[in-house]
Amino acid sequence: MSQRQYEILFIAEQNLGEPEVDALTATVKGFIEKENGTVDRVEKWGKKRLAYSIGKNREGSYVLMIASIAGSAIAEVERRMRVTDGILRFLAVRIDAEIKKAERKKTIRGKKESTRRASVREKDRAFEGGAQ
Amino acid sequence: MSDMETPEFRGRGEGRAGGEGRGERGERGAKGAGGSKGGFFRRRKTCKLCSEKVDYVDYKNTKLLLAFIPERAKILPRRMFGTCAPCQRKVRTAILRARQMALIPYSTE
Repeated sequence: MSQRQYEILFIAEQNLGEPEVDALTATVKGFIEKENGTVDRVEKWGKKRLAYSIGKNREGSYVLMIASIAGSAIAEVERRMRVTDGILRFLAVRIDAEIKKAERKKTIRGKKESTRRASVREKDRAFEGGAQ
Repeated sequence: MSDMETPEFRGRGEGRAGGEGRGERGERGAKGAGGSKGGFFRRRKTCKLCSEKVDYVDYKNTKLLLAFIPERAKILPRRMFGTCAPCQRKVRTAILRARQMALIPYSTE
């Protein structure tokens, strides 16, 4: 099964301290690894004020995870996260396609730039050649 | 949509909407008053995201997204910002995602 890269962001409840949030992160990591996925990177944003209150939480600890997991397995991870206490909200977004697209665009742009420069150089050369 | 056309809304909007939106409205008013012969011309808006070469509109990049939502936190139509259609779609999905994750508000007061 092909692995795809996902970006999972979740918000932990405000009354959880840092060790609890770490434990929660470990649990989520366990969910991913149970589905034969791997966690590539974990980013802790720390406590942030929410733009609006969710339930009775005005703040929340954000944790971002970059994981490689099969597309069919992410549903199970989401289901488990939904029933996990302490997670206010989560969002799993597939990012590999987007990253590829962005890179392709970048290379195309780079090529365009270089060809344009090359054509300018050529013109310059032709001009110089005509002057001599 | 109909209340968009009322002069009251436009008057209020002029003070509130930031950036290009304001310019657009002001120019439209000017055009209405002076006509195209009166020396006014409509500045052609360009897509900010294309010109700044943003390849991926990230929902986590609230700084970028906040440029696209005015005070009331509504997503404004394309004609206000001049974003191209693909970019507007990207911005839209990013804003919806960021809203869900409480990074930016659904509405203010």
